[in-house]
Amino acid sequence: MFVATGRSKLNAAQRRYLRRFLPAMLVYSVVIMVSGNAIGHHRVSGGLLIALSIAPALPLLCAIAAVGLYLHEETDEYIRMRAVIGSLGGTGLVLATGTIWGFLEQGGVLPHLPAWFVFPLWAVGLGLSQWVCNLRDRWSGGAE
Amino acid sequence: MTNRLRDLRAQRGWSQQHLADQLDVSRQSVNAIETGRYDPSLPLAFKIAELFDLAIEDVFISPSKES
Repeated sequence: MFVATGRSKLNAAQRRYLRRFLPAMLVYSVVIMVSGNAIGHHRVSGGLLIALSIAPALPLLCAIAAVGLYLHEETDEYIRMRAVIGSLGGTGLVLATGTIWGFLEQGGVLPHLPAWFVFPLWAVGLGLSQWVCNLRDRWSGGAE
Repeated sequence: MTNRLRDLRAQRGWSQQHLADQLDVSRQSVNAIETGRYDPSLPLAFKIAELFDLAIEDVFISPSKES
């Protein structure tokens, strides 16, 4: 969501974001292994299959909520603007990739892309946008 | 938008970090404003002007008055 550079310290909103986001991703990594193992190696069906299938999405929803709360709580308007630009970069990458991939998939050129791919792809776009912002900040000079 | 923030800060011998601490923003924010890459909101612009005990137009140059 944000990139702390150099000697910059995390502000209160950034610390709260990490306190929400990191545990959510930790829970996600455990749940995805447990549910994947259960669905792959055991004959589950009905309600249990639905519950195991949806389980990995829940911590990711918490991670998405953490992003939204961070944007709401960040009081440094320039840092918030950069986070919003990063989010737009991620959204743009998801829309562009989904559009191109969808038509190529329809034409039989590419295989089916699972819908859960949107969140990691969005995160990649966010990271790339933040990286570009950081480079621009560094090249602009004037830092003391 | 052009501004005199760097000059005003230099006159007082403040670092960007010191100014950022006074304004309760990040050093990156001060740098972005000084270099004209970011125009602050009206509340932050007022806060900056008040910190230097100046009118807002003495810190920020109106685009319509720039030659």
